[in-house]
Amino acid sequence: MLTLSQISRFYGDTVALDGVDFVVPEDTYMSLLGASGSGKTTLLRLIAGFEEPNHGEISINSKRIDGQAPHLRDIGFVFQNFALFPHLSVAENVAFGLRYRAENPLSNNSEILDRTQEALKLVGLDGFGHRGVGAISGGQRQRVALARTLVCEPRIVLLDEPLGALDANLRARMCDELRAIRERLGVSFLHVTGSETEALTMGDEVAVLANGRITQSDAPDTLFSQPRTAEAARHMNAWNTFDGGLCGDALSNQEIAVRFDQMEVCAPGTAPQDHLSLKAQYLTGEFNGPTALSFFRASDGSLLQIIDHLSQPRLPDLIEGQDYDLHFSSNALRQFHGAA
Amino acid sequence: MQSGILRPALATYTALFLLFLYGPMIVLAILSFQSIDGGPQFPIRDWSTYWYQHLLGLAESSRVSQLPVGESLVRSILLAFMTTVVSTILGVMSAEAFRTKFKGSGPAFYLIILGMMVPGVLVGLGMALLSNTLGIGRAWWSTSFVLHVVYTYPFAFLIMLAIFNRFDRTVEEASFSLGVPPAQTFRRVTFPIIFPGVLSAMLFSFTLSYDEFARTLFTAGRDLTLPLSIYGTFSVEIYPNIFAFGVLTTLFSFTLLVIYGLLMKRFTAKASRFSGQEDAA
Repeated sequence: MLTLSQISRFYGDTVALDGVDFVVPEDTYMSLLGASGSGKTTLLRLIAGFEEPNHGEISINSKRIDGQAPHLRDIGFVFQNFALFPHLSVAENVAFGLRYRAENPLSNNSEILDRTQEALKLVGLDGFGHRGVGAISGGQRQRVALARTLVCEPRIVLLDEPLGALDANLRARMCDELRAIRERLGVSFLHVTGSETEALTMGDEVAVLANGRITQSDAPDTLFSQPRTAEAARHMNAWNTFDGGLCGDALSNQEIAVRFDQMEVCAPGTAPQDHLSLKAQYLTGEFNGPTALSFFRASDGSLLQIIDHLSQPRLPDLIEGQDYDLHFSSNALRQFHGAA
Repeated sequence: MQSGILRPALATYTALFLLFLYGPMIVLAILSFQSIDGGPQFPIRDWSTYWYQHLLGLAESSRVSQLPVGESLVRSILLAFMTTVVSTILGVMSAEAFRTKFKGSGPAFYLIILGMMVPGVLVGLGMALLSNTLGIGRAWWSTSFVLHVVYTYPFAFLIMLAIFNRFDRTVEEASFSLGVPPAQTFRRVTFPIIFPGVLSAMLFSFTLSYDEFARTLFTAGRDLTLPLSIYGTFSVEIYPNIFAFGVLTTLFSFTLLVIYGLLMKRFTAKASRFSGQEDAA
């Protein structure tokens, strides 16, 4: 179990991380979701030991690891750019850790060969060992990076946007494979990403990093349907967060959130009595294939989105620039205390 | 754009420029094939390889004494080799240090660079005075050697700095994360990747030291290096054997360059990148 308590990291006056408390349990696929610049890569680098926190403690199984040299931490790291050793072949890349690590290096060539083969087989690269790392594709490099890390059997594997450099098709496939590989090995993965879809798909648990803190850490469905903070809701990219005062005085001074798919549109003044409603101007629509997004601007300037599924259209015909009432049932509402 | 005229014009200009650049060397090469009774100028009386034979001591006795370059050539090569080793090691180590900002890195940087900026005559003279004051004898392998290192080390340092500037630090971090300690990481990852840069640093150090004149002039003491002894022969009378020698040393330099090129090619070909992305099967 990896535990971070009160981890802070500054760069001059810039605060990257501000008291992060975070736990990655054993045998878990943990996704860490954060916008770019939220400090998620910094967090991984602190855990790996490439940088040290200004405050706080990092421990694995209650033993502190902060302050320890990175090569003694026994933590695997898969880089966004893969960081393969360009002068070595695929097999030499994978065997590298086994051969040259400080603790318990292997010198028996046939054992190294066996374990390298095994690792390559695990990631589906059987027979690629002799290739140069310049002569394989992006997806294959990703697998080599993974095999190289896994073959050393680290206590936890950190993945820094591991799918970021792959195209969309490949990404979807690697998602499934990463999960499958992790389940087979039983080691915890901490997967950092900026994509909510990726985080929700991959994670047994998803943590949201915002404003230098972990704002919520939960199972994907819980996080998606019941975000506890406005930041968490915003990161799901499925919630409109706005000032409750727009719907009447009862909710004023609260930030509230309603999911894109739980808002309805009607002509001004025709909203059902039992629904909460607000006035907004229709800006434009965006067709995404199976879904369509409609954008509205509320009177205080906040942007609201409503999603419509092609198979079950529920929105009236909308005219750009016209005002409409947006309404939703009070069950759909999530309230966060404190002003927006 | 008027590229119809511009391109041939630029091409001609470049060709002329290169000709101008190598003109002196070409003249020298032609004159080295002067016949036995010809002088160090045109016209060529007759084509021969006499002066090459003379240079190598293969010619029959001659009115011209043999060029006294044998020992100084060995000295120069030895000195250049020593300088190369020391400067390159220092250059790599200090460039490695400059990868992270440290206190006083600014002044340290300029102090290192100063070694290649200050006029050689001045440093040479200064070194001569200093060694006299301290009572240290001057010799090509001591005082000159120190100055050669002072002179070539900044070049090696700058080259390595440029190499490290483009160096992707994550491969080192990847190595650490595999449990490999820093020393092994340097040996197995960093060094092989920066090796082309190291070769360049070595080439620069070697050539700069090999034909260094001003600094050596004041500090070499009794035993001369090659540039000094060639210069010494000028004061007597010039014969085409010097040209023959010039051609041979140029060939030697070219050989070094070819070796450098081949090594470069070998080490960069391995790291050549496949840039596309295909389906991972």
